[in-house]
Amino acid sequence: MSDDEHHFESKADAGASKTYPQQAGTIRKNGYIVIKNRPCKVVEVSTSKTGKHGHAKCHFVGIDIFNGKKLEDIVPSSHNCDVPHVNRTDYQLIDISEDGFVSLLTENGNTKDDLRLPTDENLLTQIKDGFSEGKDLVVSVMCAMGEEQICALKDIGPK
Amino acid sequence: MNQSYQNTAPPDLAHLQATMRTIELACSSIQMHVNPSAAEATILSLSQSPQPYQACQFILENSQMPNARFQAAGAIRDAAIREWGFLSTDDKKGLISFCLCFVMQHASSAEGYVQAKVASVAAQLLKRGWLEFTAADKGTFFSQVNQAVAGSHGLDMQFAGIIFLESLVSEFSPSTSTAMGLPKEFHDQCQTSLELDYLKSLYGWAQDAASSVTNRIIASDSAIPEAKVCSAALRLMLQILNWDFRCSKSTVEIGRRGMGVLGVKNDSYSARKTECNLVQPGPSWCDVLITSGHVGWLLRLYGALRQKFSCKGYWLDCPLAVSARKLIVQFCSLTGNIFPADNGHMQGQHLLQLLSGVVEWIDPPDAVAKSIQNGKSDSELLDGCRALLSMAAVTSPLMFDQLLKPIRPYGTLHLLYALMSEVVKDIMENHTEEETWSWVARDVLLDTWTTILMLLDSTSRDALLPSEGISAAANLFALIVESELKAASASAFSDDNDADYFQASITAMDERLSSYALVARAALDATVPLLVRLFSERFARLHQGRGICDPTQILEELYSLLLITGHVLADEWQGETPLVPMAIQTQFMDVVESENHPVVVLSGSIIRFSEQSLDTEMRTSFFSPRLMEAVIWFLARWSCTYLMPHEESKGNNLTIDNFKERQPESELSKKMLFSVFGDNDQGKFVLDVIVRIATVSLVSYPGEKNLQELTCNQLLHGLARRKNVRVHLLNLDSWRNLANAFTNERILLSLNPVHQRSLAQTLALSASGMRNSEESNQFIRNVASHMTTYLLQLSVKDDLKKVAQQPDIILLVSCLLERLRGVASASEPRIQKAIYEMGFSVMNPILIFLDIYKHESVVVYLLLKFVVDWVDGQIIYLEAHETAAVIDFSMRLLQSYSSHNIGKISVSVSSSLRSEEDTEKYKDLRALLQLLASLCTKDMVDFSSEPVESHGTSISKVVYMGLHIVTPLITLELLKYPKLCHDYFSLLSHLLEVYPEMVMQLNNEAFIHIVGTLDFGLQHQDSEVVDLCLRALKALSSYHYKETGAGKSGLGSYASGYEDLAGNSQEGILGRFLHSLLQFLVFGDYSNDLVSAAADALLPLILCEQSIYQRLANELIESQGNPAFRSRLANAFQFLTSANHLSSTLDRRNYQKFRKNLQSFLVEVRGFLRTI
Repeated sequence: MSDDEHHFESKADAGASKTYPQQAGTIRKNGYIVIKNRPCKVVEVSTSKTGKHGHAKCHFVGIDIFNGKKLEDIVPSSHNCDVPHVNRTDYQLIDISEDGFVSLLTENGNTKDDLRLPTDENLLTQIKDGFSEGKDLVVSVMCAMGEEQICALKDIGPK
Repeated sequence: MNQSYQNTAPPDLAHLQATMRTIELACSSIQMHVNPSAAEATILSLSQSPQPYQACQFILENSQMPNARFQAAGAIRDAAIREWGFLSTDDKKGLISFCLCFVMQHASSAEGYVQAKVASVAAQLLKRGWLEFTAADKGTFFSQVNQAVAGSHGLDMQFAGIIFLESLVSEFSPSTSTAMGLPKEFHDQCQTSLELDYLKSLYGWAQDAASSVTNRIIASDSAIPEAKVCSAALRLMLQILNWDFRCSKSTVEIGRRGMGVLGVKNDSYSARKTECNLVQPGPSWCDVLITSGHVGWLLRLYGALRQKFSCKGYWLDCPLAVSARKLIVQFCSLTGNIFPADNGHMQGQHLLQLLSGVVEWIDPPDAVAKSIQNGKSDSELLDGCRALLSMAAVTSPLMFDQLLKPIRPYGTLHLLYALMSEVVKDIMENHTEEETWSWVARDVLLDTWTTILMLLDSTSRDALLPSEGISAAANLFALIVESELKAASASAFSDDNDADYFQASITAMDERLSSYALVARAALDATVPLLVRLFSERFARLHQGRGICDPTQILEELYSLLLITGHVLADEWQGETPLVPMAIQTQFMDVVESENHPVVVLSGSIIRFSEQSLDTEMRTSFFSPRLMEAVIWFLARWSCTYLMPHEESKGNNLTIDNFKERQPESELSKKMLFSVFGDNDQGKFVLDVIVRIATVSLVSYPGEKNLQELTCNQLLHGLARRKNVRVHLLNLDSWRNLANAFTNERILLSLNPVHQRSLAQTLALSASGMRNSEESNQFIRNVASHMTTYLLQLSVKDDLKKVAQQPDIILLVSCLLERLRGVASASEPRIQKAIYEMGFSVMNPILIFLDIYKHESVVVYLLLKFVVDWVDGQIIYLEAHETAAVIDFSMRLLQSYSSHNIGKISVSVSSSLRSEEDTEKYKDLRALLQLLASLCTKDMVDFSSEPVESHGTSISKVVYMGLHIVTPLITLELLKYPKLCHDYFSLLSHLLEVYPEMVMQLNNEAFIHIVGTLDFGLQHQDSEVVDLCLRALKALSSYHYKETGAGKSGLGSYASGYEDLAGNSQEGILGRFLHSLLQFLVFGDYSNDLVSAAADALLPLILCEQSIYQRLANELIESQGNPAFRSRLANAFQFLTSANHLSSTLDRRNYQKFRKNLQSFLVEVRGFLRTI
């Protein structure tokens, strides 16, 4: 396993990389993929051949994880695809400002104030209501290819 | 008791007319699509109102609008079925005779659908009252119909009578009957009664009706109304012959003995695509169907029709011709003890007579095919083929062949071959994508061959097939292969990307190939050498054309040849070890040297060809992924049968008596076949080649998922599955190399993770073939150590949080988890120890990863699935302390999962991503429930040396704890996933049945949640879920009843009344369930199968809550406005609890009594309670 070990070490310092190459054949449904330079979640994979005795190719249907748009791509299955580095971080919510920004508490005690409230009605009301009721809310922020968005909310009990 | 009704509604003309207008208005607004739901409600209200008969009859007789009449007829039916219980006998008979008279009187009406509806209402009502009417009552109805059918009142009434009989017969045969809310026994009794007492006379009437008009049809040259009557009568006869005759079935065995091979063949083989039901009406039908010359009449009728096809009004597909042909084909399936035991003489005569008629449609095949190509209708040919199929199903092959001899110089098999070759030629010449007549004919004819040859394949083949038949089969196979090869090379460049179509065509192809294989096996002497020749031709052409011309066409031809040969040489295996096909075992008696055995030659040439794929240059130029798929598929199928065959299967065949006398030669040939690729050097050599080919296909074809799947799931798994092969696998360098590559080389990490799982499982399975168990366990440790070590090291990294999210690490972790899961699912007693250690060593990392990857649902699911498979495979073997460790781990896993997910709201802008997330959550929860369920099994099956309790573990406590953790996550929304719902309720009902006492240890919140889900489950659509809930209820209430009977508290406050989460006081749960169950039983919609389970739950509930039960019953009785209903209901309730000496104990007999009581109670009251 020394081979993998080595590989693992070498990537550790390249943590800032936004995407990683991965063989198309190994990308499964519910995984991530970059299509047309957008990070997507794969919702459908099918394989076909180029001519009867040709090689396999994969047909991906992905949904942009930030704007929900549907994208498609066809890649020979032995070729590499880009897979986005999707990072999720939990922050405690400390404030909601008038202009639609939220103030979040980071792990090292600083605040992060550059995120907008989500556009989703459901999450928006949950956050606003929960916050005004004084609940202790943790928001998950999804980050990929330089974009960030609040993607989930969790109530960890009243203050 | 009905007086109150009949007098309340005097025939008030104005009122009736108003009703009629309302209904007419509603009907026309439905037609014009103006506010259809309101209109439907109006019509529904008519059929739901009490005693709407007068209004309906008024509408039927007076309305000018056919739709309104149609609806009125429907309303009569609905109301009468509902109110049947309290209609007087005269009312019932009145309604039926009204409908019958209506049909007869308006027989000439132009709206056929109204007439058909009224006729079917009459038929349904007649069936509803079938068991209560006297024979005289029925006789009155039938004599009325008989007169009409006999034609004494003109053609229209004759037709109407036949239509009524058609509805009647279809109402009485189980597959087409209306349920009418009655138990199956009722339908069975009706069916038997009609079959015994009436069916034959009905057939006779139809026969008479048809023959009464035959002369006029034959005499006239243009369409006349008699043709309509005649074709209806033929349809009725066909329908009666389609009846599922029961009364004769029991005697079939006796009849069979007399007829020898002519008897009914077992219908154990259902490979045939075309429907072909045997008609077995029994001896009493002999006079009507056989000796009366009925068949002769039918054939003459059709013969006369054939002359008229050029006339106006008659053509090949006119209704009369179609029904006549169908009836003729149906007659070909006639069999059983309707024929006397005369060695098949009479049946032979019968079939000969039919065949002499049918043969006109199909002989000579070339001329028939030609005229179809020139535009003639194909229906005679197709029906002719179907007739041959039916005949093949009721005769022996020899007899089948003889049938044609008296009228033609050749046998039936020859005709079959000639037909088939015309059809195949047509397919070859007119290659289209569309289904043409030749496709249909090919399928029917192939089915016919299958039917004939199936018998040969399963029993001894002593002279069962005449030599002409064998040569016909040989020629046929050659033709088939030619056409398949031609089709293959023609399609080599076509690019069908439609995946769905592809799948469907593979299945169809498979069926077709099995039929081809049967044909080939009937003439092995010719067909195996043919295949050898075809292969060597292709190999030679491939090498000659190397680098010069495009090999694609040859590759595609080889692809088809491999598939065909695979089917010919070996049978499919599905979890069983297939034997060498009987035909191959007993053929080639004269071969002395094993190298010359044709099957060995054929196998050897294919294996040598496959071996060339190991050469890089050959591989890149010839072995395309698709060809490789066929190679792997062939090797998988072939090796299961021929490679190192199981000892027992060698001896097995000797038990068949027929071969005993010829043992010396056949023995030799068979032994040869078994030993060539047996445990000797050649066998090992071939095994080694196969493993190397498999390795190449995994390593050298990156991204070819289909190929990898075949290699992992079929070929390698198929090898490691078999004990004989396992023993040799680990001695092979090639196998050890594969295992090494798996653990050390990156290339195999790029296989699809699912296939990595399968490969890991296969490697683990092969370990159990080693000589001692220490070695086996060591092998497992070697295979697993790279995974466990890596996961352990990763889990303790300082910067784990950062690196873990990198896609490459996620991929690696997922692959390793899949591999672990594969090893875990290979649990065999021999390697159990190593697998336990493997799982034990990663328990901590798994908990860490569950935390780290809490947002990465894909990884979470893999983690859970690994634990599920591992626990499932291990739990029964574990010692007490190991069990304790596993249980502790499982609980921590559950808790951790729950804390991450409870109260979490995810959002996404995309609705499809949201639903994906729901699906992921559902899959996780399902895995958790499976985990709990496998923990449960420890209490049932336990192979450990001391009981688990010795370590202070109580499985029941643990599982309730688990349920406690999981239930809050299972929302009612998630229970809409059928599988989750099913798993949840089966776990719940299991727990409540086995450990009802534990329920008291749940806290208030969990208990209320469980009760809530039970409530939900009772309302569920799926009757299996309802059944599970009812079992849970039975368990809860009988536990309470027994406990309180013994002076204990039972369910305590939950039974007497408690406070819910909001602090409101609630009545006891048992009372609540009693209420909802009664409501459900009386007013709900459910299948009859549930009544027994409901009775089992209801009895203990009633016993627990007697006063509530009294109150509920009284409320229900009081709510009835009508005194007649009230008294009926009161009686029914009385009956429910006191009939059949019901006592207040909960034993088996008492449950059974109560089931009967409830069944009759429901039949009695549901009719009027549900709609009024």
